[in-house]
Amino acid sequence: MIQVKNVTKKYGDFYAVRNINFEIKDGEIVGFLGRNGAGKSTTMNMITGFIEPTEGEIIVGGYNIDANPKKVKRQIGYMPEGTPLYADLTVKEFVSYMAELKLIPRKERKEAVKKAIESTGLEKVQNNLTKSLSRGYKQRVSMAGAIVGNPQILILDEPTVGLDPKQVIEIRELIKSFGKNHTVLISSHILSEINQICEKVIVIDKGEIVAVDTPEHLEAGATETTILHITVDDINNVFETLKDEITEITELTLQKTNEDNSKEYEIKTNVKTDIRKIISKTCAEKDITILEMRKEEASLEDAFIKLVEDRPEYSQKEVKKMQYEKEIEEIREEERIRKEEKANRKQAKKEEKARKEANKEMKKEAKQAKQKEQENKKEKGGEA
Amino acid sequence: MFAVMKKEFKSYLLTPIGYIFIGLFLLMFSIFFYLSVFSSRVVNFEYLFYNGATILTFVTPVLTMRMFAEERRNGTEQLLLTSPRSITSVVLGKFFAAAIIMLITEAFTLMYYAILRYFGKPSILVAGTTLLGFFLLSLAYISFGMFASSITENQIVASVLTIGVFIAMWFLPDFNQIFSIFSLIYKFDNFPNGLINISEIVTFVSFTILFILLTIIILQRRKSIK
Repeated sequence: MIQVKNVTKKYGDFYAVRNINFEIKDGEIVGFLGRNGAGKSTTMNMITGFIEPTEGEIIVGGYNIDANPKKVKRQIGYMPEGTPLYADLTVKEFVSYMAELKLIPRKERKEAVKKAIESTGLEKVQNNLTKSLSRGYKQRVSMAGAIVGNPQILILDEPTVGLDPKQVIEIRELIKSFGKNHTVLISSHILSEINQICEKVIVIDKGEIVAVDTPEHLEAGATETTILHITVDDINNVFETLKDEITEITELTLQKTNEDNSKEYEIKTNVKTDIRKIISKTCAEKDITILEMRKEEASLEDAFIKLVEDRPEYSQKEVKKMQYEKEIEEIREEERIRKEEKANRKQAKKEEKARKEANKEMKKEAKQAKQKEQENKKEKGGEA
Repeated sequence: MFAVMKKEFKSYLLTPIGYIFIGLFLLMFSIFFYLSVFSSRVVNFEYLFYNGATILTFVTPVLTMRMFAEERRNGTEQLLLTSPRSITSVVLGKFFAAAIIMLITEAFTLMYYAILRYFGKPSILVAGTTLLGFFLLSLAYISFGMFASSITENQIVASVLTIGVFIAMWFLPDFNQIFSIFSLIYKFDNFPNGLINISEIVTFVSFTILFILLTIIILQRRKSIK
């Protein structure tokens, strides 16, 4: 089981991956879907221990990769992006070296290498130098390096990129066969591939996870409207009245009239409930013959585009601008607070001064009053 | 460690690198041998290694420049660092593979000893101290070359850096004697005289260990900044 908890990877100010969380159970084949630069390889590199996350923890098979890297790495077979191989080794030597690196005991090594070469179909080229192989074979060699020693977890980074269609199918079949008794995490930006191989999809975009679900659920969530394509033999020309009779229909448009006078319509509904039954029943009542009726399925592609397109696209420049503006705003706020404090202090000083002056004034007045009193007394005394 | 060492050693011999290193070193060594025979008419096996140290300054990068720079450029670094092997064992494996090539090269220089033995009586003990000193010097050079290779993915940069630092260490004492502590080639001076000085051995060994450790630290650090 792989658990990724609150993992963030930062390069300077740039977030390659931001606070991601997901879990992959034993025996699952999980697809990691995202555009180029979405953070797929970064996440995979963190799970395999090639790079360290800035924050968060990764637990593989019960071991934290930070505390027990050796135990974690022993469970993982990793096929990195771009299939790096040692050019000066033969296929067999390369797979043996990988087996040695993976600490497979000497006694089991020969058998493990043989098995890995057999299951990737490399027997014929096992004594060729890896640099002399075609792209498809190189990919297989890389895969053999990943599966040697039968690790419980396979992590495959873009395993079919750059292959011809036949090779893609072969590699895909290979992955499917491993998926029967391994946990597989496979990254790709090719949706049909994920759809065919994986039971669960993790969609990642701009370093954040936007969805974790089965391909079917993602597809279902992609559209709110259901679209039906229907071809009818409508002699009485009454098909278009269906719109008034079936309230669920929001749009009914004639697409094409065929040579045999049959007509092709497109029907849109706002609800997700299937109205095909109602349509057939109504058509039967109206003596309309349905020649074909097909429900348009939303593809994983639609789901993906919907998930990813809803998110604002910020370029790095824009992000920097936003950060800059935020900083400016903060500085302004500080300045404002400082000014306010200064004004308050000034006001307080002014008040203090005014108070003192008032005091002085009062004292002066009191003095004057006293003086006057004394003068009055003196005058009175003089008079007396 | 042995898995990496075995593979690296094999790589040296499967690619021209190992042969180029051994060949280049012996070719230049032979030229110096030839020149001293014909110019001064006096040949001393031990003193040939002063020239040997000069040659080593320039040819060490042939052996070391690809160590990590090539792995990084080809992406095979990912295979190494995601394997359960520790970084220390990977670094030591590569270091010892280069050290073995160096040992083989040094073994070849014994043929000059054999030639001289035929004509005279060179001291076997002094030859021994020279070879020991030369081997320690080459280990120190390899460790620095390996370190230079670990900080870049460009092999040319790694080799230029290696040669540049070696030359600086060589000539800096001419400006001020203080720098002679850093000068490995000066530390080697006493070995061909049959003197084994503990402080010199300690310098070579600690320099070697320092740069092996620095290489390990660089690779470990890169995990968090990569």
